[in-house]
Amino acid sequence: MDADPIRREQTIAQYLARKLDEKARDAFESHYLVCQDCFEELRAAELVIAGLGPAAIECTSHSDITVVRFKESAELTAASSSLSNLLNTLEGRSDTKVLIDLSRVSRIDSAGLGMLMRCYTHTVRKAGALKLVHPAAQVKRVLSMTRIDSVVPTFDDENAALQSFR
Amino acid sequence: MNLAGLEIEQIEPRLRYKVGYEVGFACPDVDDLVQESLRRFVDACLSEKLRDPEAAGAFLNGICRNVILEYRRRLHRDGPMPEVEPDQPMKGLSHAGLFELREAIEAAMKQLAPRDAVVLRAFYIEERSVEQILEMTGLTLTNFRVVLCRAKEKFRRIYSSSVKSGGASGH
Repeated sequence: MDADPIRREQTIAQYLARKLDEKARDAFESHYLVCQDCFEELRAAELVIAGLGPAAIECTSHSDITVVRFKESAELTAASSSLSNLLNTLEGRSDTKVLIDLSRVSRIDSAGLGMLMRCYTHTVRKAGALKLVHPAAQVKRVLSMTRIDSVVPTFDDENAALQSFR
Repeated sequence: MNLAGLEIEQIEPRLRYKVGYEVGFACPDVDDLVQESLRRFVDACLSEKLRDPEAAGAFLNGICRNVILEYRRRLHRDGPMPEVEPDQPMKGLSHAGLFELREAIEAAMKQLAPRDAVVLRAFYIEERSVEQILEMTGLTLTNFRVVLCRAKEKFRRIYSSSVKSGGASGH
């Protein structure tokens, strides 16, 4: 088995995702059947994946702009896990030009607004920019009432939003 | 008993995992397949059919594969082959074991720094390459290795304690 922990982890991740070819799978199984260390690493990786859960947020790149989308309907409220997911996604990355697609966000409260401002500060500190696109009517009204839309540029059209970064 | 330096108690959970991975962890015949594989392995070791102890893993894996193939053929012969949906191994745990394990996993996830969670998600869930992750997070390779090893160490401890309490080994 590979002594490099990263390569070993890649093998484990592929095995768990059932993406190893037959030969590599056979070799890995033959190894962990006699190696307690690798077997424990395999089981630990399984727990990591169980803890992470399915991806709730998708990030796609358009040249140097990262577009962040929710994979399913979400609420940016204090009680919602979408809030921490979004925050973790943005704060853990070094992207500086970020466009958040709010089309699947049905509700936002003060915690959600605070989080958006936190993400905004995070990107601006890195000399970047954060913009919003496709807010639903209710979310748009909240952004307007709180005048956050005058600080964080908000668009209804994704192409226009992407162009505005240039 | 010479089993190429291996203890049955050590092999059994690994073999159970391999069988579960192949036929589904909820399959009612997992126990039988594990026992049959172990029996054939012990017989082969006792009759000195395992010439190279270094290849014990491949030998055992081969035996187990044959047992699973025979099982599938038998199912096919007896009736229509059922769809074997490989489910998550955690499903095989007892309710209490599952609850405890989930609690431990949640607690460990909360302790992770946001950046570490992003790194782990990108690596395990989004299946991004190491280069992509380094570019995305701005980490160095050394930092990435530290994040990965630190998280794995934490989850290995959870796994070990669940084994001791009869949790993760219970399937």
